[in-house]
Amino acid sequence: MHGSDEGRPWTFYAFAAFFGLFVAFLYGPMIVIYVLSFQGPNGGMTFPLNGVSLHWFSALISQTRVGDIAGSFQRSIGLAALVAIITVVLSVLAGLGFRRRFRGSAFAFYLAIASLIMPGLFVGLGIALAFRLLGLQTAWYTTGLGAQLTWTLPFGLLIMFAVLGRFNRSYEEAATDLGATNWQRFSEITLPMLLPGIIGVALFGFTLSYDELARTALTAGSQNTLPLEIWAMTTNVTSPTLYAVGAVTTVVSFVVIITALTSIAAIQSRRARGKQSEQSHG
Amino acid sequence: MAEKKGVEATGSGEVVVANVTKRFAETVAVRELSLTIPHGAYCCLLGPSGCGKTTILRMIAGHERPTTGDIRIGGRSVLGLPQIERGTAMMFQSYALFPHRSVLDNVAFALKMRGAGLPERHAKARELLTKVQLENFADRLPAQLSGGQQQRVALARALITNPRVLLLDEPLSALDEYLRLRMRGELRRVQKELGITFIHVTHTQLEAIAVADTVVVMAQGRIEQAASARDIFVAPKSAYVARFVGGQNVLLGNVESVMNGTAAVASANGARFAFPVGDLRPARGAKLYGSIRRDRVVVEKLAPGAKPAAGLNSVAGEVHTIENQGSYVKVTLDLADNEEFVANMPDEAFFANPLDIGDKVVARWSASDVKLLDDGLPQEAPAPARTAMAAG
Amino acid sequence: MALFNQTADGAMDAAPPTAEQLADDRSGERASWWQTGPLVVVLLLFFGLPMLVVLAVSFFDFSRTDIIPAFIFDNYIDLFRSEVTLRLYLSSLKFAAIVWLVTLVLGFNIAYFLVFHVRSLLWQIGLFLVCTVPFLTSNIIRMISWIPFLGRNGIFNQALEGAGITSQPLEFLLFSDFAVIVAYVHLFTLFMVVPIFNSMARIDKSLLEAARDAGAGRFRVVAEIVLPLSKTGIALGSIFVVTLVMGDSFVVRTMSGGQSASVVSALQNEVAALQYPPAAASAVIMVIIVTLMVAGILRLVDVRKELAR
Repeated sequence: MHGSDEGRPWTFYAFAAFFGLFVAFLYGPMIVIYVLSFQGPNGGMTFPLNGVSLHWFSALISQTRVGDIAGSFQRSIGLAALVAIITVVLSVLAGLGFRRRFRGSAFAFYLAIASLIMPGLFVGLGIALAFRLLGLQTAWYTTGLGAQLTWTLPFGLLIMFAVLGRFNRSYEEAATDLGATNWQRFSEITLPMLLPGIIGVALFGFTLSYDELARTALTAGSQNTLPLEIWAMTTNVTSPTLYAVGAVTTVVSFVVIITALTSIAAIQSRRARGKQSEQSHG
Repeated sequence: MAEKKGVEATGSGEVVVANVTKRFAETVAVRELSLTIPHGAYCCLLGPSGCGKTTILRMIAGHERPTTGDIRIGGRSVLGLPQIERGTAMMFQSYALFPHRSVLDNVAFALKMRGAGLPERHAKARELLTKVQLENFADRLPAQLSGGQQQRVALARALITNPRVLLLDEPLSALDEYLRLRMRGELRRVQKELGITFIHVTHTQLEAIAVADTVVVMAQGRIEQAASARDIFVAPKSAYVARFVGGQNVLLGNVESVMNGTAAVASANGARFAFPVGDLRPARGAKLYGSIRRDRVVVEKLAPGAKPAAGLNSVAGEVHTIENQGSYVKVTLDLADNEEFVANMPDEAFFANPLDIGDKVVARWSASDVKLLDDGLPQEAPAPARTAMAAG
Repeated sequence: MALFNQTADGAMDAAPPTAEQLADDRSGERASWWQTGPLVVVLLLFFGLPMLVVLAVSFFDFSRTDIIPAFIFDNYIDLFRSEVTLRLYLSSLKFAAIVWLVTLVLGFNIAYFLVFHVRSLLWQIGLFLVCTVPFLTSNIIRMISWIPFLGRNGIFNQALEGAGITSQPLEFLLFSDFAVIVAYVHLFTLFMVVPIFNSMARIDKSLLEAARDAGAGRFRVVAEIVLPLSKTGIALGSIFVVTLVMGDSFVVRTMSGGQSASVVSALQNEVAALQYPPAAASAVIMVIIVTLMVAGILRLVDVRKELAR
């Protein structure tokens, strides 16, 4: 590490500038869209802004020409919540299971990795075909749900690996030593200590589902999720309503993300508080 | 919820390890080990990493199961017993204080597991915190405490269930040197006050001797010697124990002659020693090992050009290193055949005529200070080690 | 494969496990089975089986309205005979290669900055989150947000004309390969940053000091120490980026304005036309090719150590 009172090398400033450009690259276009969503009623899809209004936002709710925004929005939120819950439960359990050596662990692991890197359209295709062959209908809450899980479960599992890797098992042993049953040990010690990681898994489960397109494309059935609606809009909507949708859906994402991150931060800071206080060497 | 009954400290805290072997997937950590620790003893398991001492501790605690053999506490086998009925409590090397619970809740945890109500267990926990002088820290989080304070909380947490046996897994290794020395005395004091059995695992020789009534020196899954702290130091049984516990030089040679209970032994580099052999009659040429305490050795500088006088119980060599240890000076000699020999000289004696590195010296000792070691002697079937309660 | 092994407190010769030991191992194993079971079942149901179905359907016959169970190789033969297939793969591979290179350079530098130049842990986490948060918002929105940016009347062109650098709007910015690559980089760089960041964070900083001590200049330190020790992260990131680009159809459709295509976008067309068996065959071939690419990357770098922590 560089000494804390050393000046920074020139490379730091070069890198920092580079990083700043990258952040601008990441956020710039999105900000453009948000600004444009306030386009005046007579404005077009690009700059300049022809007045500022909420016209296009109200168009979202009122016009049915743009599609079933409200309905798909509700479906997406509900689906995302469901996916988040299922992902948390299954990933946490599986993560705990992977702590031991067991026959078939390699198979399970590679299955999850394969599911992660398989192109979403293929997975959707497979599910749709399977259902078609069985003569069943696809729907967002059955096949759509399943397809999205093939994407969120591997993510959840990898996050649990990272979290459990840092988890010191002597806490669990101490709990057993003090007389805890398996369930008490899990509910009093393991679960609370893993909580930040679990919130992370829930966050990923929710947002990955909420934004998911490729896997849902063929498995959503007759009723669209929000990303599918937006995708349809990109091809046949030529007004800033599209930007309004983009702005609204991103705001929802941000709310969820910030809620999750602040709760994690709150938990961590409460537990780590006092690290600066006098301690002897470990 | 009805409070579950635990075993109170009124029962005997005698621990019997009966012919226990522990195998992990490819290794044997403990081999047919038998050990009896009387009630109320402070016993240290001492040995290098990998010798099996921690495995034994964990088996007594119930965190591992022996592959074969039995473990009895207070006369009753504890294999497979639920934690509440074992009467043991463990203090972990890293303390393992639950970071998300306050100090008070940490200490009260075991009572919560047994179904005690909140006011009751908090009151009991405060009592214990007062005993370790941390009552003002009850509402803090473990991360806000210093290392020494965390250790006291860990101790209080383990003691709240009135265990018959307290198991300590390298309790002092997480502390810095100064605290370590202070806490040694504390542990000893607490044990005497409580009167329960303490089993303390460590790899530090001086620590073991400082705190324990009985020291069990282990190597490779077996007991090398189990004896009082005093005996381990002054009367090590084998070369391994002598070397590990320290403070001794190991002498090795072949028997030249035996007379009146003393064997004249010649070492490879020409030095000759007298070993007490008692009633034994080792054959000529047999290999014998002996030990001489480092502080019973006198070192004299050889005048330049002088030859060391031939005689028993001396070695000649060159000074290799000099280490000031305060009340004594540790002088390491290089002997003729590159063997090492150490003398601990009292500080005043050393500084009256200081030695330099490279000086040619002679080290002498008296025959009555030499002890015979077991190595090379015909062995009887080993009896299960019983540790005696040493006085003080 | 054991992910979190506890080390044994002993070291000697092996001995066969006793019946008691086996019973202990078994009950632990059974616990792991029911803990990982639900996840495995869901993945088998919604991933494993569907992939087998795709494989099966790739051998089916089809009419204008139906798919007919059969076992014919026609779909594959058509694929291999068609010139379009080759063009599509070249197009996809071209995108994959360029995007891989760009995200690698970007990702490496960003990770390097975060790990070695940012001193405070709080700032590290904060900046890392700043990069990660966009990933958790809608991909489509992020993709189409480039359109008003790059278009003929878009911000970028207007800025360039306003600053007097150009007199005419740059056409190639949008609905072109350039736009596709920009969008891919925008969406997928994070997948490079995270694994490389992980690998770099594990590097013992004193190694760098030792190298400096021995006289290595700044760039030598990176080349000799940081780069080799980040190999695993680079490999993982590469696998992510390559599979994402090869498997994409939405980005390439939108951002190229229909001019370019990828294997998967062509597949999507076939699916829309209800031509499932050829689409399935195309999918199978694509999976094989991507698996070979991934295996190639894994052959170069052993990632199992990293994944097994």
